[in-house]
Formats: sequence, C-alpha cells, structure tokens
Amino acid sequence: MTTSAQTVVAPARARTAAATATVRRKQGFQHGGWFIAPFLALFALFVIWPLLRGLYLSFTDANISGEGASFIGLDNYREALHDQLMWDALGHSAYFTLLVVPCITVLACLLALLAHNIERGKWLWRLCFFAPFLLPSTVAGNLFQWLFTQGIGMFNHVLGIDTPWLTDKSYAMLAIVIETLWWTVGFSFLLYLAALQGIPDHLYEAAKLDGANAWHRMVHITLPMLRHITGLVLALQILASLQLFDQAVVMMDFGPGPELSTRAFVQYTLEQGFTSYRVGYASAMSVIFFVLIAVVALGRMWLLRNREEGGR
Amino acid sequence: MSKALTGKRLLLTVPFEVTSAIRYVEQCRITVESRTGTGSRTDGQAMGRPDLSRRHLLAAAGGLAVAGSFGFAALGTGADALASGADTRVRYWNLFSGGDGSNMIAMLDAFRRADPAIDVSDATLQWGSPYYTKLAMAAAGNRAPDLGVMHLGRVTGFSPGRLLDPWDMDLLAKYGVREEDWNPRLWQRGVIDGTLYALPLDIHVQLCFYRRDVLKKADLLGEDGLMIPVTSTDEWFEVLKKARKVQRKGLQTIGLWTNDQNFQWWFFVAFYTQLGGRWFNDANTEVLFDVDKATEVLEFFRKHVTDGYVIPGAPTGEQFINGAPFTWEGNWSVPVFSGAKVDYGATPLPPVFGKQATHAESHSFVLPHQAGRGGAANEGAHRLAAYVVKHALQWAAGGHIPAYRPTLSTAAYKKLTPQNEYVSAMNHQATEPKVWFAGSTGVLAQDLGPMVVSSTMGSAKPATVAQRMKKELVKLLASKNPMDGRTAAQGGAVA
Repeated sequence: MTTSAQTVVAPARARTAAATATVRRKQGFQHGGWFIAPFLALFALFVIWPLLRGLYLSFTDANISGEGASFIGLDNYREALHDQLMWDALGHSAYFTLLVVPCITVLACLLALLAHNIERGKWLWRLCFFAPFLLPSTVAGNLFQWLFTQGIGMFNHVLGIDTPWLTDKSYAMLAIVIETLWWTVGFSFLLYLAALQGIPDHLYEAAKLDGANAWHRMVHITLPMLRHITGLVLALQILASLQLFDQAVVMMDFGPGPELSTRAFVQYTLEQGFTSYRVGYASAMSVIFFVLIAVVALGRMWLLRNREEGGR
Repeated sequence: MSKALTGKRLLLTVPFEVTSAIRYVEQCRITVESRTGTGSRTDGQAMGRPDLSRRHLLAAAGGLAVAGSFGFAALGTGADALASGADTRVRYWNLFSGGDGSNMIAMLDAFRRADPAIDVSDATLQWGSPYYTKLAMAAAGNRAPDLGVMHLGRVTGFSPGRLLDPWDMDLLAKYGVREEDWNPRLWQRGVIDGTLYALPLDIHVQLCFYRRDVLKKADLLGEDGLMIPVTSTDEWFEVLKKARKVQRKGLQTIGLWTNDQNFQWWFFVAFYTQLGGRWFNDANTEVLFDVDKATEVLEFFRKHVTDGYVIPGAPTGEQFINGAPFTWEGNWSVPVFSGAKVDYGATPLPPVFGKQATHAESHSFVLPHQAGRGGAANEGAHRLAAYVVKHALQWAAGGHIPAYRPTLSTAAYKKLTPQNEYVSAMNHQATEPKVWFAGSTGVLAQDLGPMVVSSTMGSAKPATVAQRMKKELVKLLASKNPMDGRTAAQGGAVA
C-alpha cells in the first residue's frame, strides 16, 4: 500500500517541481500558484463542484440512483417552504443555538478567567478544559448517552433523580445542549485565554496605581479588552450550532429523538436525501439552509461594521 | 456540532480520497483473488490468497492512480470491469448484528461445509436506513452484491425490476424451493406484478412477553403454565391490575416502548389490524384509514400510561429482567431474556379487540440489480439463499419464525421454548400496506410513528392524532416514489 502510494505521488511531485522552476523563471512572483494548485484542485473537486451540482439538483426531481432526473423548476423550493417538518427541524436547530451560544460564551469566558488567574497547575486546568474538544463527536455523544441513560446513567444516580433525559421531548434537547457544552467549550475557552494573555500588563498596573480594585479592573479593563474575541466566539458558535447534527444523531441512536424533538435541519435534509431517496428535494433544502446561514453571517458583519462606524 | 472551521474541512478532503483509493485497491484484490481462486481450483490446488505478483501490484498501483485522479466516480466502473470475471464467489450483504449476526454466520459456515465449491463473501452492514441507502446506490451504480437481505415490506418501494432482479424460479426449484412450503400470504408479499422479487427467510413478530414467576403469584397462569387468554381490553387491564398487585415495587407493570417511534408504530399496526382497519382501497387510489378505529387503538395505548402501568422512558428490557411482569417486544429479544435466565413466556400481542393479529415483518433474500446478472455467481446466490431458508432452525434460535414451513413441524423446532408458544403468529400477521413508502424504517413508519408516540405520551389527543395520521396517509398516497416517479396507485404493487 505504502509503496504503491509513493510510486503514484512521486512523479506528480517531480512534475510540479519542474514546472514551478519554469514558472519562477518566467513569471517571478506568480510561482506561488503552483503551491496552492493541489489544494485548489481538491477544493474544486470536493467543494465547488458539489456545491454547483447541489444547486443544479435542487431544480430536479433527482433520486439517489442518479438516474432519470428531470428538471422541475422551483417545485422543490415551493414544497419545502410549505413543509411543516422542515420548519420544525429549523426550529430545533434554532432552539439549540439559542441555548448553547450564550451558555458556551459565558462559560468559556469564566473558565478562561479561572485558568488565567490561577497560579498553580495552570497547565492542568488548560488541559482539563480543552481536552474534551479533542474527542470525536461519536465518542463524546456515546459517552453522554451512557451518562444520561435512565436507570443506569451516572447523572440521575448522582443527582438522585429519575429523569428520562433521552426519551422525553422536554429533556432530550437539554441533554444534547449539556453534552455540547462539555464537549466544545474548550475551543472558545482557548480563544478567550489567548485574548486574556494579550491584554498588556501596564493597563492593570496603571489602574492599580489609580486605586482601582479587582472588580473595577475586571469591568473596565478585562471585559472591554475581550469585546472583539467575544464577537468572534459568538459568530463561530452561532454558525457551528446552527449546523447541529452529529452529537444529536449519536445520542439519539440515529433517530429524530422523542417525538422528533431533536431532529435538526441538517438531519432532516439527510433523511430526505438518504432515507426517502429524494436527492433533489434535499438539495433544495440545503440551498435554503445555505441562504439562511449566509444571511446570519452577513447580518452579523453588517451589525459589526455599523457598530464600529458608530463608535468612531 | 460540525466545528465549522475551514482548516478542518481541508483536512477532511484528503483522507477521503485516500480511503477511496484504498477501497479501490481492496476491490481489485478481491476480484483478482476470486479469479485466481477459480483458476487454481481447476488446477486442483488449494484455494487461498494468491501471491502478490507484479501484475497485481500494477493493478493496485493503476487503481490508485485512477482513484487519485478521478476520485470516487472512477470506483464503480473500474471495479465492475474486473468483477465480471468472478463467477464462483457469491458476494452477500446483510444487516444482521448481535445474536442474529452470529446465527447467520453459523448458517453460512454450514453452507460452506455443505457446498465448498461456492465461496461466500459476506459483508454485514449497519441495520436500518444506512443499509438500504447503500444497497440502493450499489444497485444503481451497478456495483451490487450477488445476494442481499431486505425487509419484505420495503421490496415494493425498492423499485423491483430496476434496483432488484427477479428470482429465477427454475433455479430455485432446482435447489428445492417450492411455493407451497411458504405461507401463501407471506410468499405473495414478495411477488410484484406476478414475479417473485423476495424470498422470505422468516417472519419476526411483536410479542407479549410475560414473567411466569410473577403471573403465577397473581394467578394469571393457566393449567398448561401459559398466560391465560385475554380477549378484550377490559380483561387486559384486569390482568395488568392483578399483576401490579404482586410485582416488585418500583418497577413498571408493562414495557410498551412508549417513546420509541418504531415500536409504537408496530404496535399500532397490530391493533389497528385487530379492529379490521384498512389503509387504502385495492387500487391504492383512496385512503380508507378509519379515524374512529385508530382513535380507539391510540386511547388503548394512552390508558397504559394514564393508569400508571408504564414508566415512560424506562428501559423496557432491563425492567423485565428485573421483574416487571410484562413487556411488549420483538421476538428478537428471546435470546436476550433466555440468556438472562428469566422464567418467561411469550405470546402474540393479546387479541384485545377480538381478532388475533400481531405485527409481522419479514427478512427476505433479494437479488440486487446487476447489469449482467447470470452465470455461476447468480446460480450460487440462488443456491445459497435456498440452502439458508431451508436450514433455518439455527435462525429460529434468534426468536424469528422460519418462513419455510417444514422447519416448523420438525421435532427440534417444537422443542424450542417460547418459540413454540407463538409460532401461530405465522397465520395472523398484521402487516403494513403493500405500497412503496412502507416497510421497516421506511417513510410510512418514519412519518406516522412519531404521531403515535405523541398520543401515547400525552402531547396530543388521540382523536387529533388519528386525524393527523389520516392527513399524512392522504399526502403519502398522492406522493411519487422518488425512484421511479410513480405514485402508489401507479406503482404496480399488486398483492
């Protein structure tokens, strides 16, 4: 396997190198293009092409076999906009986002302040808070599935309650939110920690000289200096949370949760495409989702710019 | 949450291609092997993995190059060209894991001993929709295995004729498969437009499991040591009441999978059929779903919860093993409860609405579509399927009722408990309608199952839910099968 892989790769590399040399002689600075060419090729193959193909399929009644698709115009979009289940699924994704984003932002900030200000065993805190983020979603999902399972799970045992976390629609999404907090808070924590370390010490020294106590230093220096990173964390978390999928399906055994209560938009799209075999319809829903996410992202940019302009 | 960072995305794309390449080489290896396997057997040599020669290496390297440059798309065509040479290896896909998985492997091993000329290459895939998606894509992309397993209810929706090839009745007859050895209704479920597309291996039914030790205390066992018969809902709740008096505290009286959309749906099909409810007219042009009957069934389920016989969400199997008197479960739990040394029995779901009927699905063998189906591999597939359906005693150990009726009258089968107690379920199966959207984990179950759950759990009123179900059935009946663009009425699913 290894040997054959090398036989294939080697000539390609040699060719690229030779070509690069020629280009460098001829065009000077443009030789960088060859370095990104492999990336561009893969990017085109696995991102650009599927994107365009998906857009095309959304106007057809394509099924999963890829045969016999015919052009049906906007029918898929029309159907999707009247599909109550799609809106329900979008609602679940939004609900999840609404719960996760504030919690994760506050929690990450608190943990970062804790890890930043504790003198002893700093590395241990950092490791503890960040390590869960390194787990694959399946591992984290399965772990929490066990912890939440009624009858044998640790949470109910420790808390002395008997809550049907995974099988009741009032708790199911909550269970996923808790799992997500534990699993992904490390990433935002790291961003906050980096930002905290970037705040110049002299600001604190000057404040101290002026008689500001710890609370004042926190409110008037630390938090304002973290404002930009908070914006970034919020943006990343919103975009990531809207795409809720893997931990939910793992914790719900690849089902839609009790009474469909944890079926996220991405999962519903997947089910339409791969359970109901309606690839065209699923593509249309993906496009709708893409537009929604783009609107959120652009809206945030617009808000940010307005605020900055207003501040000036 | 997809950690939506571009960096991560990039990392993902490269390994994907490498895996494709590896898989491609793997396919080459298998086909090359099977070719040399055939050759070496005629030379009188032992079969085994051929030495890695220069030719194979070249094929592998070529495969890598092809896969590398064209990605996934190249996989099918290349592998196919090579695969046509393999003619005695029967590639067989199934979805059996756990106890079923090991029983199936034991049956395959028996076949291998009985018929060493055929090399069975079996692959077990994840149960449920992922399996069907892979099977559909393999058949559409002309990379299908020679033999596959499918739930009988899904055959109609699987585009028989396009994604499935018909069975060769002469070949089946040659290996001893005769229609009269099957329950006629069961056999007919595999027949689409007069052609057999699915050969039933078993039926698997929903059962009422009961603990003998608890029921004895409650005086609910008959002379024969079996649960006393129940013929009305009043009698049924009387039984539950008596059982609750003697059961261990802190447990539920019955496990109903109140939160599980699949089980709730299967139970609904059973009791709705007991009431004589219908789904559609024969031409599949009109919805005959009876809202009143459906409401009656839904209210019956709900009463278990409101009267406190069920702890919603409690793990049903564990509760039963720990002493809960009843649980409604699929027959596949037989090995679980027997393994736990529980003193129990199992009957078909009680005929509380007067008529015997319990939900039944069926595992069946199918021939996924291959462009050039025929030759030795195809004959091998017929031979393997015929052997397995006729030697299904091992399969019965997993709780399933073998479809091949002669098995049921063997002394060995009659000795199996509790299988011998519910074997009658073969004669009163409640099945989903024969339409493209039906079948295990199919569209129908996925759409209506959660509605049944919402009623049982009390999120919605039974009567409202029954109306919703009817509305959904109307929508489904009008919708087109995405595989061929035809509605159920046009679908040719003639029973």
